[in-house]
Amino acid sequence: MRTARQRVAPESTQALSQMLARCDRNGEKVRIAGGETLAGMGLPPERADVTLLTTGLSGVIANERADLVVAARAGTPVRDVSILLASQGQFVPFDAPRPLDATVGGTLAAGWAGPRRHCYGRARDYVLGSTIVLADGTIARAGGMVVKNVAGYDMSRLYVGSFGTLGVLARANFKTIPLPPKARLFLAPLPERTRERACTQLSTLAIRPSAAFWIDGFHQAIDGDEGPEGRILALLEGSDALLERATLALRSALGRAGVPQTRVIDAGAREAFERVVDAYVACLGERSVTYRLYPLVPDSQRTVIAVEALARRFELRNETILDVMNGDVVARVSDFDSQAFGAKIEAFDDALHESEPRALVVASKHPHRARLRVWGAPPAAIERMRELKARFDPNRTLNPGCFVGGI
Amino acid sequence: MILLERLIEALGSDAVKAAPEDLAAYAFDAYTDGGTPSAIVLPGSTRDVSATVKIARDCGEPIVARGAGTGLCGGAVPTVGGVVLSFARMNRILEFDERNRRARVQPGVINLDLSRHAAASGLFYAPDPSSQQVSTLGGNIATNAGGPHCLSYGTTVNHVLGLEVVDAGGEVFSTSVEDAGYDLTAALVGSEGTLGIVTSAWLRLSELPESVRVSLAAFDDIDSASEAVSAVIAAGILPTALEMMDAVIVRAVEAAFHAGYPTEAAAVLLVENAGLREDVAAAQDAIESIVLQHAARSWRSAESRTERDALWAGRKGAAGATGRIAPNYYTQDVCVPRSKLPQALRAVEAAARANGITVGNVFHAGDGNLHPLLMYDRRDRRQVGAVVETGNEILQCAIELGGTISGEHGIGWEKREAMTRVYSTADLAAMARVRDVFDPAGALNPEKIFPRGARCPEVVPP
Ligand SMILES: Cc1cc2nc3c(=O)[nH]c(=O)nc-3n(C[C@H](O)[C@H](O)[C@H](O)COP(=O)(O)OP(=O)(O)OC[C@H]3O[C@@H](n4cnc5c(N)ncnc54)[C@H](O)[C@@H]3O)c2cc1C
Repeated sequence: MRTARQRVAPESTQALSQMLARCDRNGEKVRIAGGETLAGMGLPPERADVTLLTTGLSGVIANERADLVVAARAGTPVRDVSILLASQGQFVPFDAPRPLDATVGGTLAAGWAGPRRHCYGRARDYVLGSTIVLADGTIARAGGMVVKNVAGYDMSRLYVGSFGTLGVLARANFKTIPLPPKARLFLAPLPERTRERACTQLSTLAIRPSAAFWIDGFHQAIDGDEGPEGRILALLEGSDALLERATLALRSALGRAGVPQTRVIDAGAREAFERVVDAYVACLGERSVTYRLYPLVPDSQRTVIAVEALARRFELRNETILDVMNGDVVARVSDFDSQAFGAKIEAFDDALHESEPRALVVASKHPHRARLRVWGAPPAAIERMRELKARFDPNRTLNPGCFVGGI
Repeated sequence: MILLERLIEALGSDAVKAAPEDLAAYAFDAYTDGGTPSAIVLPGSTRDVSATVKIARDCGEPIVARGAGTGLCGGAVPTVGGVVLSFARMNRILEFDERNRRARVQPGVINLDLSRHAAASGLFYAPDPSSQQVSTLGGNIATNAGGPHCLSYGTTVNHVLGLEVVDAGGEVFSTSVEDAGYDLTAALVGSEGTLGIVTSAWLRLSELPESVRVSLAAFDDIDSASEAVSAVIAAGILPTALEMMDAVIVRAVEAAFHAGYPTEAAAVLLVENAGLREDVAAAQDAIESIVLQHAARSWRSAESRTERDALWAGRKGAAGATGRIAPNYYTQDVCVPRSKLPQALRAVEAAARANGITVGNVFHAGDGNLHPLLMYDRRDRRQVGAVVETGNEILQCAIELGGTISGEHGIGWEKREAMTRVYSTADLAAMARVRDVFDPAGALNPEKIFPRGARCPEVVPP
């Protein structure tokens, strides 16, 4: 990999279009960077002559408050959009790690799936329209500012999750929903042997928490200090009535699971939840790799146990966040000695993909990341994806080699 | 004819139809104009679909997928002939995964049948087009269908987890929203049979709420009703459903169903809130006070399940009930920003009046998704012309208000030329790139979505 000599931050869609058209003509490869919070996802570009910073394209363009619709430039920090929306009692469930830095465009392009998606859906489900600049400089709009629109293909959703390899998002329009008035967080230490029982209890509650995790490790990122090894964290969101009823149910469910005591946090509940999401991408220097696995809810315990066993086998330290409601598992493996880590992680990666073919790398500063199967096994429809890439970016100008199957 | 022989050889004579009365039966969907197919195939399996597509390709015949034919934009019409693939026999729920709240279905399953099946597990399938008693999940997926409950649950695309698809070459491939890579599921949903033929789908099921309340607000003028809708949304309240019907519709519905609608009202709002008991009560109260501030003459809540179902039956049967007003009706489908609803409705009224057409409005008000039903008599050329003109003016008005040319029914054959009114050549070219990947020869549902000349090859009838 060659590092980009040039960094540019166009401030208008026009300027972005001209810049891409020029690179595409001259055979220059473009690495696209937003807030770089998800820089640990995907492969490094096989070549990069120019780094395109989207952060020059910043700001909310339209805030149609009475329509519950908002539009932002792609480089806008997620936090800016969320603060504006919260001030008017609305939100979009981006659930992006490090929202102060994360951009709207980057979060969409990476197809980020947050822990509250089981109740609110993904950010993808809120996208109403978009403006994209294709590799040849073409500016194309899709969708619009209305909440229902079936005029033509859903191009915006195709661009979401395309990792910048089909085009560069310049703008996205979202529908918003009312922000739940209250939030409450439950925190409980959880002895190892009660994990399965507690998770089952939580995932079958009649009033579902908007997020629930079983966490092992990640102390620095989440608690800022040493705490109990295993712990449960559950977020309730809604009206006073909901909080009241759900609190009772949650306490007795945890009691049944043998959880000794539960701490309730009202002030700062959402912030504590956000720290967990931040932890998804927190790295331990160059000596950690974080995977995300997507088993179905009933299988997630088995997956956690399998990853733990593998980490033991390769003498790696393992930390886990189990998203109880969606079933996905975040596993950070590391070693205190970075030299030793380099040797172990490749063997671990091989073994992991044998049992969990779809495991993705979501965070890593490891210098030899390119040797890992960061996207897991290729998806069933990979050939069609390659053809799409060839149609949209025939010269492989955008993020070449970063995506699934070397796209 | 070689096409028929080969189809019969591959699928058996029972699955292939080509008698004149069969061809006539599949000439139309719920849009006004039709075409003539070369053959009808009733596949029983993915393999049948794949074989049919290959044979049709060899014979140079296009393929038009068909669910129940309730589509309103000519999407299932074989405009240039070809083989119509009707999914009437692929109507099984293949897997029901209660624990993970999802089901795998064949495309011919009727929408309502899935919810009926899921009810025993406390689940339902949320997208509920008013045609749900007859329309198929395959058709719903292909049109990204909406419905009253999509206000709170989102449209079909939010509920599709993965697809099995037969492509234009007859090859089978599958997609999943959990897969790494491009979101092909999202590209296929709403593609109206032009990118692939859906042969099965994993769909998300939702939990039945613990409490449901339905209320009816009546107004003396349509302006107040639409302003009330805008005010509810602006107040940040999203009911589960928020539907509007005007006087023309209310009277027709009452005559047909005796649902308990106030026939002297100029407009009614049907409001549903579902969820936690306490939250439902609070939302009902908040909406009640907003509609009363907007001069509602009455606000009545259904007291029983029977009463609630009657109110919904009236709404869902509304279009059918218009048969009492005129022999035919044309449904326009546009979507505008929700704050523009009052302006949009005034424009609909003005357009209808100027063209001497009776209009009835019954629509998904909370989404800003208008459905003016334009009443006419097909045998009267003047009326037909006036309906076309009115529909066109409504389309233009929606565009000018910042809206779109279809909120949920699709572009199909009917609105393909209107695509250039909302999209630039570059916008359409981006869509055409996707089409070229999946169906380079244009053999899947030709003459749909793309305006004439927007993409190169389209299969021309032999
Ligand atoms: C009274 C009435 C009320 C309606 N209410 C609503 C409403 O509330 N919301 C709404 O969204 N629509 C509504 N519609 C429109 C219509 O019912 C929907 O578009 C529905 O999704 C069509 O389903 P269908 O099975 O009838 O499909 P069809 O009409 O047979 O086909 C529709 C399109 O899907 C394609 N298709 C069908 N099956 C497949 C497949 N397996 N693979 C690929 N492509 C396929 C066809 O080629 C065609 O382009 C209404 C229609 C009527 C008549």
